[in-house]
Amino acid sequence: MSEFDEQLREIIPRLRRFAVSLTRNSSSADDLVQASLERALSSWGDKRADGDLRAWLFAILYRQFLDAHRRSRRYARMLEFFTGRDDAEPSAERTVIARSTLQAFERLPTEQRALLLMVSVEGLSYKEVAEILDAPIGTVMSRLSRARQALRQLSDGEISSPSLRILK
Amino acid sequence: MISLPPNERDLHAYVDHQLSDADRRVLETWLASHPDEAAQVRAWQQDAQQLRAALSGALQQPANPALDPAMIRQRRQRQSRRHLASAAVLLIAVSVGGFSGWQAREMTLVRSTMLPMTDALQAYRLIAQQGMLPADYKVDSEGDMQRWLDRYFTRASRLPDLKAAGFEPVSGRLLSTDEGPAAMVMYEDGRGHKVSFYVRPPGPKNTFLPRGSRSDGDLQAEYWSGGGYNYAMVSPVDTPAAQQLKQSLQF
Repeated sequence: MSEFDEQLREIIPRLRRFAVSLTRNSSSADDLVQASLERALSSWGDKRADGDLRAWLFAILYRQFLDAHRRSRRYARMLEFFTGRDDAEPSAERTVIARSTLQAFERLPTEQRALLLMVSVEGLSYKEVAEILDAPIGTVMSRLSRARQALRQLSDGEISSPSLRILK
Repeated sequence: MISLPPNERDLHAYVDHQLSDADRRVLETWLASHPDEAAQVRAWQQDAQQLRAALSGALQQPANPALDPAMIRQRRQRQSRRHLASAAVLLIAVSVGGFSGWQAREMTLVRSTMLPMTDALQAYRLIAQQGMLPADYKVDSEGDMQRWLDRYFTRASRLPDLKAAGFEPVSGRLLSTDEGPAAMVMYEDGRGHKVSFYVRPPGPKNTFLPRGSRSDGDLQAEYWSGGGYNYAMVSPVDTPAAQQLKQSLQF
């Protein structure tokens, strides 16, 4: 048991970093990590899959995040019902040029941030990432390609995306 | 084996060190004579490297004892011993408006179905006492708070005027409860005392409340219904202003 705890302790800083990149808020991130560790400790033993412990924990955390996200979107729709408008939609005017790779990264959609963090920063294999995202490897590869292009464009300050051109 | 010219996937796999040694050598040789693709690959490598560098600091956060596996095990055991007689209430706080995106925080709270407006007291504890949820909205000028509230609860009664007791509305927070979306408006006086105004729908069972008040630990709640909503004003029992406040709450 304590050997497993030691392994977990080594991975916790990585889980926290992943959670921060998803939630963009460190206290929400730690709640997410805590909920994920609880899930991990309760399902350890019966559901433990083969392979990397880190990838398994990342998968748990990502799923917990998506669940919470869905709930919060449902809630946002409830608010819309009250207000008749959707404030949560980022507008095109908010798109400004990112001055650093990190700023560019933070402007990417959640799934692209998750993907780039797992592949470029954590160095997880495509197969592991495909399992975490629950998508075929081919899909992961094309999403990775789009994420890299998006990061490149934002870093370069090329903000003219196809959708903006249509708006003109 | 990869075939030449490589497709884009091969280039990504090269950047991510996911090619076999043999394939990597083949691709490196090919890139040496294809400057455009080589520049593309280099740019991706640079982005990845900068991202790694930028995010390396996030690994150095001070440890959070609540996340230690031993601590989580202990907590789980304590919880199972208590047999969880009470159901969990889910509170999701969502930040609306702004690029900062959303924030969600879930908390397991002890639910007491018998007592009215328990969620208002819980929200006060979380936000005013423990400072766990940041405000969605902060007041800039007079009248702002009412406008903010009106956006979500159009038919709700007006915010109580507590100026006589020295309290002004300062911030607002949206919450989700089992009974529906809720808003909590925080009032503060000059000495940092906090009082909250809480509003939400009556819930699926349409539970409207007769005017009443009750204390719960160190807190005092006044509650009532009107305009299709339930309300509560929550304040600490021992606040010197509590008495004064009660007098100014003449709805």
